[in-house]
Amino acid sequence: MTSNPRAGGAEARVILRSERIRAWGRHHRQLFVQTFAALMSAPGSLITTWLVIGIALSLPLLLGLGLREAAVADAKASIEPSVSVYLSVPSDSAEAQELLNTLRGSSQIQSVTLVTERQALNAFAAQSGFGDILRAFSENPLPAMLDVKPLVGGGAEAKLLVNWMDELPGVDEVVFDAAWLARLQALMRILNRLVIAMGLLFSLGVILIIGNTLRLTIESQRSEIEISKLFGASDRFVQRPFIYRGFWLGLGGACFAWLIVQLSLGFLAAPVEQMAQAYRSSFALGVLSVDESLWLLLVGAGLGISASWLSVWRHLKQIQPK
Amino acid sequence: MLILDQVSKRYPNGHEALSNVSLQIDTGELVFLTGPSGAGKSTLLKLINGIERSSRGQVIVAGQNITQLAARRLPQLRQNIGVVFQNHQLLFDRTVGDNVALPLRIAGMPPSDIARRVRAALAKVDLEGRELDWPEMLSGGEQQRVGIARAVVHRPPFLLADEPTGNLDPALSKEIMGLFAQFSQLGVTVLIATHDLDLVKVMSARQVKLEAGRVLSFDQ
Repeated sequence: MTSNPRAGGAEARVILRSERIRAWGRHHRQLFVQTFAALMSAPGSLITTWLVIGIALSLPLLLGLGLREAAVADAKASIEPSVSVYLSVPSDSAEAQELLNTLRGSSQIQSVTLVTERQALNAFAAQSGFGDILRAFSENPLPAMLDVKPLVGGGAEAKLLVNWMDELPGVDEVVFDAAWLARLQALMRILNRLVIAMGLLFSLGVILIIGNTLRLTIESQRSEIEISKLFGASDRFVQRPFIYRGFWLGLGGACFAWLIVQLSLGFLAAPVEQMAQAYRSSFALGVLSVDESLWLLLVGAGLGISASWLSVWRHLKQIQPK
Repeated sequence: MLILDQVSKRYPNGHEALSNVSLQIDTGELVFLTGPSGAGKSTLLKLINGIERSSRGQVIVAGQNITQLAARRLPQLRQNIGVVFQNHQLLFDRTVGDNVALPLRIAGMPPSDIARRVRAALAKVDLEGRELDWPEMLSGGEQQRVGIARAVVHRPPFLLADEPTGNLDPALSKEIMGLFAQFSQLGVTVLIATHDLDLVKVMSARQVKLEAGRVLSFDQ
């Protein structure tokens, strides 16, 4: 700092740009530590605030993770519409062979796979666990089947195809249930949007929580702010501690959210896996990866800083020395 | 130098606190601003450190016309002005040292320099070694001296004091005024608003009398 020489009388002080930058950096370093220490001086209210922020962040995160795993399981199962054409004739008959050729010749069909009576029985025994009971039958009760993958996804075209196949000789029954798949996909889209909406709403909640906490702190420090401004503190100088407070509140809240998510995933993993196995699905709840954890912390800190900018700036500008 | 040229201040409610006040205070001069309550003393001080804006006229502080100064430039102006209040306005949740250090922290001074300057400022007001005390541990006179140390610690060229001895007994008041006289001898321009005429009489300084927002006289 360059001061005027007293002997020559008093003149306004001139501060060099480099000194300003050094002072700015020093102030940030000091505040980084001081604001954390100040928050830690009231651990009860700090942990409560962190917990509230943590819960608000973890709820959409948990739902989002569940959906992500469901989407992965969905992709693994490679679900696509298929039509089951049950035959009224034996699989090794000429009618069955003719039917197979007719379907393979259709421009609306991608592929046709013949599942013989024996294959159907083996598959059913393996999947249902009723192998012993099935062996009690003197003959195989299951019909042969054609597994048809249509090129059409659903709607009127699919209905026409099903009706056409149903009329073909050698066909006993045609089962095409694409509706459940469409419903599932629609449900996934709704849930995805719900996660986004919840994420936005809870983020707004976090901003309001942090903003309100900071506003209360400002009110408790009003006289200090007024005096500081009287001695030449700029609005940015006065705001800086609150930016750091917002940062610590957001970051701490994100740490709590991480902990809540990991504990919840650990708590839910076993029953979810059991349920998925019961449905023969590969669905399983994973944990947050390192990248995802870092993102969560970044988002938390970012929300804290945003909250400080949005809610504190105008409030601080209104506080002026009297 | 501090110049007020034909300055008037009218508040939104229509009250004219100052009317055509012209005043020039030289560098290192000590000036008393006297007058009854409501004369416009505090308003004049507020115009000088930019808390209020004049309705008419010019206020020139260190060559800067602050009536035209942008709001964002005000902090820089205020860093050149030390302020002493009647009720000293100390922060009671901070130590004496932290209170005195406030203007230095705002100015961005390194911690080692802050500690040195705070010690020196407290020594100047006879409170050496009291950095770690809490304000509530001090007497009224000592608290006022902490307020003065805070006002001069950053060596501002201007010092404004609004009724600085209002809550003090005569002996302490004289002591405090002596401190202001010392600062003026060091080159600081000091402007003190007071209604304590007995105290003003014993000081060899110019007196500007205000009444109903107008300058009545300049007395030596």
